[in-house]
Amino acid sequence: MIMNNNQKTFNLSNTRRTKRGTFTLRLTSMIDMFTILLVFLLKSYSAEGQIVTVSDDLRLPESTSQMPPRVSSVIAITQDWILVDGRPVEKIQEVMAKKDLVIPSLNDELLKLRAITEGIGEISAQMKGFQGNIAIQGDRDITFDLLKRVMLTCGQVGYNNLLLTVVQKE
Amino acid sequence: MNLKQSVGKRLRGHDEDAELNLTAVMNVFLILIPFLLLTAVFVRIAVLELNLPNLNRRSATAQEKPSQTVVLNFLFIRDNEFELRVPDIKFPKLAKKGGLYDWQGLQKQLAQVKKRYPGSQDIIISPDNSIKYDIIISVMDRCRESGFPNISISG
Repeated sequence: MIMNNNQKTFNLSNTRRTKRGTFTLRLTSMIDMFTILLVFLLKSYSAEGQIVTVSDDLRLPESTSQMPPRVSSVIAITQDWILVDGRPVEKIQEVMAKKDLVIPSLNDELLKLRAITEGIGEISAQMKGFQGNIAIQGDRDITFDLLKRVMLTCGQVGYNNLLLTVVQKE
Repeated sequence: MNLKQSVGKRLRGHDEDAELNLTAVMNVFLILIPFLLLTAVFVRIAVLELNLPNLNRRSATAQEKPSQTVVLNFLFIRDNEFELRVPDIKFPKLAKKGGLYDWQGLQKQLAQVKKRYPGSQDIIISPDNSIKYDIIISVMDRCRESGFPNISISG
C-alpha cells in the first residue's frame, strides 16, 4: 500500500516536470512593485546628510516649519534629564524642586561651552567663534515651566538664538 | 544565414507573444533600490528660530526702523482656553471643545487681527506653566501661518 502510494506521487511529480521543459518567469508584477518602491524612495531621498541626531527616548514635537537645522551645540530635555551635547547635567526632578528660574548646573555648563567656542574663534579665523546659537531638543511632553527655566538660563549665558528642534510634518 | 537575419526571423516567428528582455531593468532596480533605501530619510528634522531679546541687538533694530509702529498682540495659553489680547479689538476667550483647543477659532481671530493691522508681524505668546511643549509649538505654527512670524515667548 505504502509502496503503491509512493510510486504514485513519484509518477505525478515526474510528469509535471517533463511537461514544461523550459519556462520563463513572469516578472511584470515584480517590476510593478519595484517601480512603486523606486518612486517612493526617490521621493524620500535627500542629498544632504543628517546633522542632527536625536536620542531614542526623545519624542520631538511636530511642526510645519521648513527651516533646515544648523550646526550648533544641543541642549536635550528628556523626561528625566537635561543634557548638554549628550552629557547629563541635571535631573529634572531636582530642577523642578527648586524655585529659582536659573538652573545653576546648566548655567555653569553653558559658560564652559561658551568659553570653549570663544577660544576656538580666537585661535583660527576660519572657525566661527561664539555666535549665540543653541539648539533645544525638547520632549513633546515637557511643561512650559521647565522650558522657560532652560531658555532663561541660555539667555543669561548669552545664547540668544534658540533653535527649537522639531520633526517636520508631512 | 547571418546573425541579423536569424534574429529577425526568430523575432518575427514569436510575434504574437513577444516578451521583453527585462534583465537589464532588473539589474538597474537591484542597484538603485538598496542605494536609495540606505540614503532614505524618513524623519525630517527642522528648527524653529526663537530670538531672546539682546541688549545690543535691540538697540540696533530700534535704530534701523524707528518709524514702524509695533502692535502688541498677546496670546495667552491656559489649561482650558486661548485668549487673544489685541489693542482696540475685543475677542472672546476660546474655550476648549471636547478636550481639544479651538484651533480654528484661533486662526479666525488671528486673521481678524491681520485685517485690522496689516503691518503687524509680532506676537507674544504667554503660556501657563503647565502647558505642554507640543501645544506651544503648535500655537507658534498657527501664528506663523496667520502672518505673525516674529514670535516672542513670555513667561
